[in-house]
Amino acid sequence: MIWHIAKKEIHHNLMTLRFVLMIILLPVLMVANALIYGFGNTGYTEEIYNYNRKVTQRLAHIERFASEGLGKLAMMGPGEIPKHPSQLKFCADGTDESIPRSITIADRTNYGRGGNEGEAYRWREMWSLEYLPTNHSGDATTLIKIDWVFIGIFMSFFVILFTFDAIAGERVQGTLSLMMSNRVSRGQILLAKYLGAFFTLMVPLTIGILMNLLIIYLSGNIPIDFSDWLRILGMVGLFALHISIFIFLGLFFSSWVSNAITSLVWLLLSWVCLAFIFPSLLGIFVGTLDPIPSIEVISSRRQTQLANIENEFRPLKTSESSKLKQAPSPDNPLATRRWAAYLTSIGETKTQIADRHVDQQFRQVRLARELTQISPTACFQYAMEGFANSGITSYMNFVQQVRRYRQTFKDFIKSEDSGDPDSLHIYFVREGLSQKPVDPDAVPQFEEKPSYQSVLFPTALLILFNVLFFTAAQLSFLKCDLK
Amino acid sequence: MTTLWLIIQREFISNVLTSRFMIGFVVCLISTAAAIFVQVADYEKRSAAYHVAVQEHQDETRTWDLYSQINPKAHRKPNPLSIFRVGMEKSGADMVSIDLATPIWEKDAQKQGSDNPFLSIFLSVDVIFVFKIVLSALAILFAYNTISGEREDGTLKLVLSNPVPRDRLVLGKYLGGMLSLFPIVVISFVVGLVIAFASPTTTFNGSDLLRLVMVLIVSLLYVSVCYLLGLLLSVWTKAAATTLILSMFIWGILTIVHSNIATFAVSKFPPHKLQPEKEARQQVEKIWEDFKTERDTYILKKWGYKYPVSAISQEEALSIQITMSSPWELGFKELYNIEPIRNANVSKFQEVLGYQEPLRIDYANKAEELLKRREEISERNAQLARDISRISFADAYRFAVGTITGTDRESYNDFMDQTRRYKRQIVGHLADKNAFSERAWFSSDKEAAELIDLPVFQHRYNSVSESFFRALGDIFILLAWNVILFIGAYLSFLRYDMS
Repeated sequence: MIWHIAKKEIHHNLMTLRFVLMIILLPVLMVANALIYGFGNTGYTEEIYNYNRKVTQRLAHIERFASEGLGKLAMMGPGEIPKHPSQLKFCADGTDESIPRSITIADRTNYGRGGNEGEAYRWREMWSLEYLPTNHSGDATTLIKIDWVFIGIFMSFFVILFTFDAIAGERVQGTLSLMMSNRVSRGQILLAKYLGAFFTLMVPLTIGILMNLLIIYLSGNIPIDFSDWLRILGMVGLFALHISIFIFLGLFFSSWVSNAITSLVWLLLSWVCLAFIFPSLLGIFVGTLDPIPSIEVISSRRQTQLANIENEFRPLKTSESSKLKQAPSPDNPLATRRWAAYLTSIGETKTQIADRHVDQQFRQVRLARELTQISPTACFQYAMEGFANSGITSYMNFVQQVRRYRQTFKDFIKSEDSGDPDSLHIYFVREGLSQKPVDPDAVPQFEEKPSYQSVLFPTALLILFNVLFFTAAQLSFLKCDLK
Repeated sequence: MTTLWLIIQREFISNVLTSRFMIGFVVCLISTAAAIFVQVADYEKRSAAYHVAVQEHQDETRTWDLYSQINPKAHRKPNPLSIFRVGMEKSGADMVSIDLATPIWEKDAQKQGSDNPFLSIFLSVDVIFVFKIVLSALAILFAYNTISGEREDGTLKLVLSNPVPRDRLVLGKYLGGMLSLFPIVVISFVVGLVIAFASPTTTFNGSDLLRLVMVLIVSLLYVSVCYLLGLLLSVWTKAAATTLILSMFIWGILTIVHSNIATFAVSKFPPHKLQPEKEARQQVEKIWEDFKTERDTYILKKWGYKYPVSAISQEEALSIQITMSSPWELGFKELYNIEPIRNANVSKFQEVLGYQEPLRIDYANKAEELLKRREEISERNAQLARDISRISFADAYRFAVGTITGTDRESYNDFMDQTRRYKRQIVGHLADKNAFSERAWFSSDKEAAELIDLPVFQHRYNSVSESFFRALGDIFILLAWNVILFIGAYLSFLRYDMS
């Protein structure tokens, strides 16, 4: 019986104007997406080219300094670390242009004397990670990209148009009571209505996605391997979950209110709130809810701390003698140790401040995302970004991995150094370390591992929303008046 | 006249008593209030940051005692009207650091007050966004069944069996519908205004209020276009359900899809090709090479020195330290520190500087022109995207409000232009004082530079009338849509088949 009603529902839907409009618009949007991402400027081709260039630069950097000795390499660091661009950006763009593409290594060479009347010594501060934000400027509308996420959001609007009169319309026409006079339970009718709408909606979506992938495939600009196909399949699943939530929402309102138009008003306004207003207002609101120190405060704090270190080691007043009078050298372990202490405390202070600052920013973003997840549309977006490995979460993952790599790199320096009997084993100043060249291939490489963990929570929420809205629709339909 | 009034009244009452009116009203009110509340908090932060930055800059100014140290900063004043329409307010540069020997380039200008750049991934929702989406949907929901619905109910025939001309019926329905939308728009707007006023930081002057009144009028124009669209479709289609689906579909395309596709497609397929940044930077480097050549040739010809500093070291036993820097890798700056400066005769050097520094500024201006031309090309692409977006009345509305409130792209470009003019003003001021050939350019041993009367940057917004004239194009688009849709609905209804 369920299948019978569902079939009737599908037949009915296929003949409607809304279906005609959707089967035109959805493939058009999907094709536009494929054309824009497959052939447009600053596409994947350019991104991967830049990425490869930076990787080559990084390898050259390591090779060059590894040949100049371990001490030099320890001070110069592993070079700028680029983030691998995502092939599936056309699915979820994740406003990637406002997210940095790489983590740079701060380097600063100081010329001068070690202390006021000390020996002339040219030194280099130890490398540290820098999380430079991208300074993009543009009107806010450019933030919206025509990716699959956008199409999914727009599709939820169509879902509303399909379901707003599913119950209310039949009630007005009187067919609802006719249907109920058969041996069929209310639950079955609801389920059948759901299945009918679901399959009708999946048809244009599938057509659109297939056309999209065909164009992307034919363009040859975006390589898609097996794991990508799996991810795309996962995204189609997300589409289904997202659509299904809005079908339940539509059925809920349609059975809850007496006429179709009131149901549409409710649905439309809930849709606007869920798709646009909640995600953005809550996102901005976090800045007020959980303020973090401003960039100016942080930079002045940093200056004070660095000045304190300078004062401790190299006081400006001539009456106090500098601890860094003598230049470090393998023959002078005492001076080398002092220099190491000086450079390490500067490096650690910088690292600590930069790390903490970016962590605070991430914490805000995370809070904002958690808050916005009360909207299923936001959950859909985040899960899509998770699969596509784009957006802010993938950058956060990247930062964590780079930090781990920083430790690996330092450990490598120490272990290499411990193998050299001529070294003073003083960390980290060039003269305190081994001066022998290192095999560049032995230097640990940074390997970015995409993490799909961020998909789990929003997907779980999407399922939860499905259950929630299903229950709500069920209850409201059970209670609804047939006349 | 009485029949018209009767129709208006009836339409108004039948609209107001519906649940869609109540729901729409409440949702519009709540989302407006929420948007204003969030934006006021944001504005307060920006405003505080602005005042701190200006104060700090003033303190910094007092520490300068050399002309070569002059490095004024131009701060963009937060716009209180950005509470209603954010626009460019939160993107782009907030502060331009002006260095006489460096071209001003938008890309290098700094952003302040944004504690967390990552939060910019969230879309900025403001009142105008709420109006653009929610009000338009409401207007269409009010209008979709005015004709087709009544036809289905059979009431249309009844009405027309009375001595009511068709034109009056259409006019009455339009005015009645607008009358019922009017309180929603005005009350939401006023509630927003009250919340904005309640904040101690926000101060609206007379011209701001005038602008807000204009925004309100433009909003009504926009709502009217949406209502007329629903009305026209209601005349064209036979069944109310068809009207509803069709109008919602058009609404979705015009308010959400159209401008995003236009903007995004233009950004991915820009018709005007932009020169790569690297190339532009190389050209700037070349300009500085030219500067050095011209300077050295002239100095050699006129004074017989190979380098400018030869003007001192040849005659006196002085040591000179030159600090060369290239701010943002675009400028070319040289600072001179002469030891021991006391009683040193540096008049020749001053003469050289009097020639060299204005020349340097000329070259910096040349580089600035070059960078500005590049910016203009990207601006042309953005303009194209805007022009395509404008076809949709929803975006014409957005742009009109942006221009009126002064938060549009052009007002931002205006700010950048003002900073460039300000730089020229400072150069003029220094030239009047002959500051380039003063000893105080590089040393304060005799007397410090006189900087008390140095012009201070004042960010000036366009006057109300200027903004209005700029917005006229978009207002005209809205008016044209109104007229076309109304005539369309009117003519179609005259030929309407009752059966």
